[in-house]
Amino acid sequence: MTDLNILHLFPRTLGMNGENGNVDILVHRAEARGLSVNVKRYEDGDSLPAAVDLVFIGSGPVSAQLQTHPYLSVVAPPLRALAAHDVPFLAVGAGFQLLGETVTLADGTVLAGAGVYPVTTTVAGERVVGDFVVSSPVLGTLVGFENRGSYVDIRDAAPIGHVVYGRGNVAATGPGASAGAAAVAASGATAEGTVRVAPDDRVEGYWVGNLVGTHLHGPVLANNPALADWLLTAALARRGETLPAAPPSLAEIDRRASKARDTIAAAPLSE
Amino acid sequence: MGVRTSAAVAVGRAVRVAARLRGGGSAIPGTVALRIAPRFLEDTIAAIPRGVVAVSGSNGKSTTTNMLAAILREHGLTVFTNPSGGNLPQGIASSVLSQVALNGRLDADIAILEVDEGYGPKLAKLLKPRTVLLLNIQIDQLNRYHEPDRVVRMLEQVAMTATTSLILNRDDNHLVDMDKRIPGSRDVAFFGASAELISGAVHGVASADRFGDAHAAAGTREAAVTVTALGDSSATLSIDGQQIDVRLPARGLHYALDAAGAAATARSVLGADFRAEKVTSALGGLTTVYGRGELLEVDGESIEIIMMKNPASLQLNLDSLETQPEQVFMAIDEGTPDPSWIYDIDLSSLSHVDVITGSKAWQFAVRLGYAGIPVGTVDLDVRAAVKQFLALPRPASGRKTMILNYEQMMGIRKILGFKELEGGGQA
Repeated sequence: MTDLNILHLFPRTLGMNGENGNVDILVHRAEARGLSVNVKRYEDGDSLPAAVDLVFIGSGPVSAQLQTHPYLSVVAPPLRALAAHDVPFLAVGAGFQLLGETVTLADGTVLAGAGVYPVTTTVAGERVVGDFVVSSPVLGTLVGFENRGSYVDIRDAAPIGHVVYGRGNVAATGPGASAGAAAVAASGATAEGTVRVAPDDRVEGYWVGNLVGTHLHGPVLANNPALADWLLTAALARRGETLPAAPPSLAEIDRRASKARDTIAAAPLSE
Repeated sequence: MGVRTSAAVAVGRAVRVAARLRGGGSAIPGTVALRIAPRFLEDTIAAIPRGVVAVSGSNGKSTTTNMLAAILREHGLTVFTNPSGGNLPQGIASSVLSQVALNGRLDADIAILEVDEGYGPKLAKLLKPRTVLLLNIQIDQLNRYHEPDRVVRMLEQVAMTATTSLILNRDDNHLVDMDKRIPGSRDVAFFGASAELISGAVHGVASADRFGDAHAAAGTREAAVTVTALGDSSATLSIDGQQIDVRLPARGLHYALDAAGAAATARSVLGADFRAEKVTSALGGLTTVYGRGELLEVDGESIEIIMMKNPASLQLNLDSLETQPEQVFMAIDEGTPDPSWIYDIDLSSLSHVDVITGSKAWQFAVRLGYAGIPVGTVDLDVRAAVKQFLALPRPASGRKTMILNYEQMMGIRKILGFKELEGGGQA
């Protein structure tokens, strides 16, 4: 069995607020099962490794997004090729936005993305900050923290799931709208660029094939081990391998994560 | 001072008495006074003869304000200050109320005010500080400020309001050249630590990364006050070539830098009257601001409190531990809405954690699991968890360790029977 090769894009600039923990968690969960893992931390000027089984890109402030953007064009074609070959991707926040088609900034500037995900991002509307609970048809309840001031348009693509608490890709309107929409309404935001859907239609992220994109922070894999294992399973499946069963040490972490999800989902809070 | 001010003082004070009888509620009197006389704060502060020193930054505001006040008092000045944590407009107004005469005059030569980064720009315009001391810009409360760059811009605005002098940390990526990035001119002085101490610190000074523009490297400016040696809860400062020893609230380069910042500011404020040796005597007689390296005595055992206000404060406090603590308690709640940053923290100075509590306890238990650090019990009931921790056999070192966020620190102090004073003063 060869090493599992994880490509970690721009860990320095897009590594704020525990994002790099996602890679540590993937490594931990693979190594606990006896797999050997090799992580390539890709910064500008590096060359991409020949073998890649899984790609991660994290989040960061707008300044870091601007800092990273010039280096994107170099990696965009090989990243699109990896995606076309079903290599699983997890992209979070600013990194997810940069791997999309375009990011339109608050001043109207349009950044060209890497075109891995067929999504567009518009920086607009009120920032939403708070607990985030999403119901995925595949993985059940996912929890995290939402902190964003932009809208993501995934068009007709499939999301990760429905928003139970928080805002999601776009703002909600109407009765039953929860925290995110309440914040938008309270601010009187009818700002241009505000995208709204009916409350029940709020969805989060993008999940088509092996491409996962989200604004769930926490970091997202911390309290959602099922998503981590799904990514590892997909990475191994491409090589005709399966993910070995979890040892007791992982089962204990997963028990705690389940308690963490229950605690957050039972009493989510936002600003 | 007008009738309005007198009314504000009278009513504010009555509310203050009522609030204290009820226990707590430190900001309420100030809120009431500000409602009656919106200019109450600026009028009172403007009448102070030597003006205002504003202290801001991500970490160490309370500790440094406390140190600077002590140094100036040691030089014979009467100092007005806001006790730890009372750094929002209402909190400062409440502090004024506790000391102001009915005619609206404060008996003080100088005011030293800790200002919250978020309210800094607004407060600084209101308070018109002569001197501004900026300590550091670290990753802090992202849920509130969203990104460090915003904190940088807010602190630039605070710095711009300094009419006389600006005191900056030369070892901070963003502060090293802040004087050159803002308009206007004023005296500028730096403080810092020797290159050896900076490179010897496990995680440096935890300064927030600076991306993009080409800029001066941290550490490259000439400092008026430099930390040249670090001991166990002590440090040596070099001030204009004179070496002086100072006592710190606890181990740690960050505390030494706070002392250097306080000394550099006192030196600027006092000019020819400044005596370096008075820094030693002032800091030697200081009690800690609570939650910052504080030791609580409970039933004959001492409990060391480590605050995890944000990643930098937790990391630097963990780095300062001499040995792995024998018994560890953690409590964290929604006062830290987004604890994602615990995945950025090197927890290797902990061998285990005995008890975790607070509403974020399970998230911490997951993190510790991934870090391979054994966890004893998780109990969301804070009182039960504290009881369980206190019941553990007496540690050989005689010292138990509690790692707490600010809100849990306040609550657990109460549970342990320590009285909370208005605005967060020393119990």
